[in-house]
Amino acid sequence: MTVHLSRRYVFFAAHRLHAPTLSDAENQALYGKCNNPNGHGHNYEVEVTVGGQVNPVTGRAVDLHLLDELCERQILAPFRYRNLNTEVEEFRHGNPTTENLATVVDVRLRSVWLNWFPAGGPKLEKIRIWETDRNICEVCP
Amino acid sequence: MGVSSHNIFNHMIISKKVEFSASHICRSPQLSDEENLRVYGLAANPNSHGHNYIVEVAIEGDPDPITGMILDLKHLKDILEDRILKVYDHRLLNVEVDSFADKVPTVENMAIDMWNRIEAHIDATGRARLFSVRVHETNELFVEYRGKA
Repeated sequence: MTVHLSRRYVFFAAHRLHAPTLSDAENQALYGKCNNPNGHGHNYEVEVTVGGQVNPVTGRAVDLHLLDELCERQILAPFRYRNLNTEVEEFRHGNPTTENLATVVDVRLRSVWLNWFPAGGPKLEKIRIWETDRNICEVCP
Repeated sequence: MGVSSHNIFNHMIISKKVEFSASHICRSPQLSDEENLRVYGLAANPNSHGHNYIVEVAIEGDPDPITGMILDLKHLKDILEDRILKVYDHRLLNVEVDSFADKVPTVENMAIDMWNRIEAHIDATGRARLFSVRVHETNELFVEYRGKA
C-alpha cells in the first residue's frame, strides 16, 4: 500500500520578474510592480510530496533525515537569503516566476533522486511552492 | 479631555492587518564585512533577499456613541495603502525607502518607520490614536512598536 508523505521547507529570497526576450515596456505591462529592477522578495515555502511503501519495521515511508539532507543540499542552501536572479545558476538568464522556480526545484531533486534513495524506495511525486499565501504552483510530472 | 477619556468607559483597541512583499539587505556601513556577517548572518548578503511581511496596526479609543466605531475603517485602509503599502510593497527597502538611506531596514526599524509615517494621520478629531505597529517578517519573528515611551 502506497502512502503519500509531504514535508515543508521555508526559505527567504529576493527576485525580479523579467522575461529576457521581451522589451522593457512589455515586461512592465506584463509583470507590473514585480518587474521593479531593484527586485523584491518573499518567504517561500516548498512542499515535497513523496510516495512509498510503509516499512514494516520503522513504520516510515521515507527516511526524513535523508530527505531533509537532500533538500538542504539541492534547494535550501543554494536559495536561502539569495537573490534568485543573480545567484541561482538556472535564473542568470531566466525568469524566476513561481512556475519556473517549482520546475527548477523539481529538476534539482529529480536529477539526483535515484542516487539518494535506493531503487524501489520512495518516489518523488509532487512539488508545491508558495510564493505568498495566495500564489501557489504545483508540479507533478 | 480627549487624552484622559481614553482610560474610561468603553476603551478598546481595534487592529487592521495588511501584507506586502519586499527585499532588503541587513548590512551596516559602520561595520566590517566580518562584523556584518556575525551580526546579521546570511541576511547580510549584499545581493539582497526578501520576505512576505504582515503589518498589524492597532488603534485605541472609545467607540463613537452614534456610529459605534472607534474610527472610520475606510480612512484607516486608505492611510495604510497610501503611507505604508505604496512605500514598501515590491521595493528594495535599502534603496527605495528614503528612511533607510542611513538606517538598516531591520524589522525593528521598519516598525518605527511605519509608526512615524501614520501616527499623525490616524484621526484628526483625537478620538482614536495609534496604539501599536506590529510587523511580522516570518511566521516565527515579529516586532511591536508602541511609540516613544
